[in-house]
Amino acid sequence: MRSPSLTRALPLVELGGLLLVALLCLLFHLRLPGRLPSEADYRAVAERLQAEAQPGDAVLLFPWWAERARIFVPASLPVYGYLGSDRDDLSAHPRIWVLGQPELPRSDEAGFLEAFLPGRRAVGAPSRHGTLTLALHENGRHRPRRFTATDAYARARVYLEQPDGTRRDCPFDGKAHRCPGPAHLYVAPEWHEILYEPRRCLWMHAPGGKQRLVAELDGVPGGLGLRLEGGIIFEHAFPRDSRLSTTHLGVDDAASGARLLSLAIPPGLEGVQKAEVRLPQGAPHTVKVWVQADNADRRQVCLDVLAVEPEVGVRG
Amino acid sequence: MMRGRAPTRDEKSLAWALWALAFAALWLTESAVGYTRDESVYFIAAEGYASWFRQLFQSPARALTDAAIVRAWDYNHEHPVLMKTLFGLSHLLFHTGLGWLRSATAFRLPAFALAALIPALSFLLGSAMYGRLAGLFAAFAFMLVPRQYFNAEMACFDVPVAAMWLLVVYCFWRALEDVRWGLWCGVAFGLTLATKHNALFLPFVLTPFALWRAYSASEGQPEARAWLGRFVGVFTAVAVFYGLLVLSLGGGEGFQRKFLLLSPHTLLFAGLAVGGAWVLKGVDKVNAPVTRALVPIAAMAVLGPVIFYLHWPYLWHQPVDRTAWYLAFHAKHNHYAWFYLNQLLREPPFPLAYVVVKTALTVPTSLFVPMVTGLAALVARMVLGAFARTRAWVERPVTMTEALVCVNAVTSILIISHPQVPHFGGVKHWFPSMVFLGILAGAAVARGCTALWERLKVKWPSLPQAAVAVPVFAVLLAPALVYSVRVFPYGTAAYSELAGGLPGAATLGMQRQFWSSHVTGVLPWINANAKRGARLFLHEVHGGSFRDYQRNGMLRSDLRAVGSPADADIVAYQYHQEFREHEFLTWQAFGTRTPVTGLYVDETPQVVVYVRPEAR
Repeated sequence: MRSPSLTRALPLVELGGLLLVALLCLLFHLRLPGRLPSEADYRAVAERLQAEAQPGDAVLLFPWWAERARIFVPASLPVYGYLGSDRDDLSAHPRIWVLGQPELPRSDEAGFLEAFLPGRRAVGAPSRHGTLTLALHENGRHRPRRFTATDAYARARVYLEQPDGTRRDCPFDGKAHRCPGPAHLYVAPEWHEILYEPRRCLWMHAPGGKQRLVAELDGVPGGLGLRLEGGIIFEHAFPRDSRLSTTHLGVDDAASGARLLSLAIPPGLEGVQKAEVRLPQGAPHTVKVWVQADNADRRQVCLDVLAVEPEVGVRG
Repeated sequence: MMRGRAPTRDEKSLAWALWALAFAALWLTESAVGYTRDESVYFIAAEGYASWFRQLFQSPARALTDAAIVRAWDYNHEHPVLMKTLFGLSHLLFHTGLGWLRSATAFRLPAFALAALIPALSFLLGSAMYGRLAGLFAAFAFMLVPRQYFNAEMACFDVPVAAMWLLVVYCFWRALEDVRWGLWCGVAFGLTLATKHNALFLPFVLTPFALWRAYSASEGQPEARAWLGRFVGVFTAVAVFYGLLVLSLGGGEGFQRKFLLLSPHTLLFAGLAVGGAWVLKGVDKVNAPVTRALVPIAAMAVLGPVIFYLHWPYLWHQPVDRTAWYLAFHAKHNHYAWFYLNQLLREPPFPLAYVVVKTALTVPTSLFVPMVTGLAALVARMVLGAFARTRAWVERPVTMTEALVCVNAVTSILIISHPQVPHFGGVKHWFPSMVFLGILAGAAVARGCTALWERLKVKWPSLPQAAVAVPVFAVLLAPALVYSVRVFPYGTAAYSELAGGLPGAATLGMQRQFWSSHVTGVLPWINANAKRGARLFLHEVHGGSFRDYQRNGMLRSDLRAVGSPADADIVAYQYHQEFREHEFLTWQAFGTRTPVTGLYVDETPQVVVYVRPEAR
């Protein structure tokens, strides 16, 4: 038999617990405004960035979703903040400014640093602007770029290539290389999402069937890493529908016809796929970047081809 | 033991006061709430339906033809029309006719009236079960959940169907002491069917209680038990015959094809009505409590389908095919992408814990915890009371009424938790459960207040209970009120203290917002800064909503809606994890990644505004 005193005490204990929870909730609401940055805080950050940022620098947001900063950060500085950006190498950038809000509820600064810090080194002391922190880091994961297809695309020769080698040209209209056929068959650099990540990449929709959409690019320097990075954009990568077909991307050596890089993206495979090979030393190469899928439905490819140096690493 | 109880005069007065308070609060605050995608569709539907009523008045013969009915009622026939008809008639009267209200307010008024029933009825039921304190807390517990309050502002169906669900349960419960309420239960069920398809689950919830009550009330009375057996027999026989009919006609399609006015299908329904009435007449002679338990079930079975048919002109000429289409639409509803714990849910199976987690992260924690303790205490009493060894630990056994509330508190949550059921729409699909969880929260708070009061009375005998209840209510409700005010009118962005508010929820990877109504946060900026005749792409905002913002004076009338960033001078992008591509298309179209302004609620991006540089 339960004791009468326990029976009487339980509701009181319960009420005490409820009141305690409510007081903690009230405390949360009272504290929350003080954990949020003001516009003046953002302006102070912007001033520091304006004064100290160098060409090639980037801003990384922590937490990744705190994008209000985009309004204030100087337009010349790219701002990164997407689901997964904590782990992004940001290899295009030698220095990274981390704009943090560690006081926000559930901000896991230790978790962020665990993902972000490897291969990087803080430069100087972080500054505080209200609840915002701004810390400069040397990016040891930086890989200097000697060639990017998105920059060189205007000089490319673009065509649709049949398996027997016959070609139909996609003439350049000043903005894009437009192919005969559907309006989506063109090659041009565009902003697209690949699994939440914003990427400026070459739009190369697979043409369908066995033919390939090819962009032939000159001047790819030898002795460097040749990287192919690409994926299916937006929501189109997600469906595993059996009627959809695997998309093949590749880079061939135009002179020898040798396959340098290739990626296969089956239906349902999301995210940026990457492949890399070291190009032999010597004269600049001409490469054929291509995309092919038997069924072109939802095979909306965006890719880039880069010639990159090894990671610079951190000093000291 | 389960019996209904009529409210006292004081309870009635308080219930009316709560209704009036909720109605007034909703009315006074609605103008800030944007028009969700669905709501503008319902506005359009409501206007169309109201125009049919005008035609019915002016030219009844023509209005009653199928062609005229289809013309007016075909739009949005995926939902029954009780609420939309009320929205339309309210608009016709208060906006078009009298000109007293702006367009949106006139549409929304009936929704406020229905929503306000929840605190009133929660109070009545809670008060009858656990006392006035519990009833009062239950009343506040529903309206102070920001997402529930936000939804209560909408000319939509989710809060109305929660109100109607509660009304049906209330009528069912009252029917146990007054047989007339059994008929009202049938009427209320029909109106609930006419509100939203959630109602289809109600008979499965209530019938076991009716049978349980009838069984226990007929104990030791063989004649009454025999009549109960006949009642079950009539219903079972009809169900079996319907099953055989389906089989003999080659499945659902054949059943549907042969379902005519004069067919075995209707004959069976008539048999159910006649048979049910005969049994009820018989049982009433031997045992009134058994009759009272069974009348609501018979009334629901007969009046439900009849009211559903009658309320919807679209069904009048082709009831079977159009009802079948309606049911099939909801049985095979699309799945919309939904962000949950850093995962984009696009298709089933969905996480089993989704509903519980989402509830925990959105209901103010100071209300959620008493809901949990209220439910847990009730379940504990049920479990302990079920075993001889532990029965003595339970101060008083669980009543059937408590079990009824408990089952209703979990039914909608369990249904939506099924991994194959669509999981979009935030929390709105299990609002009927939240009403009953509020009553259980009230029970938890009331027993604490009473215990404290009794303890204090030893020292201060004249201490009134209010001296304890008022400060306790103030402490428990204050965080929810602060949170509600803070997040209003951006209801779909509300996250609780347990989530860490909106910033915490964003880090947890929860859906930031949905339904597009938060665009109201940037409309003043657009009105002030857009050049004359600017082309505006309001991402995710329904074309009807664009029209409604202009119609209600919230958006300049010279601004033009366009369908993509490429055609726009200004883009207001709604931050959804599944729509990131749309923001990047704006970068592409405008050649900039820098927004000019936005709606950032507690730092979380909700709506981000870009202006084409050459258009500035």
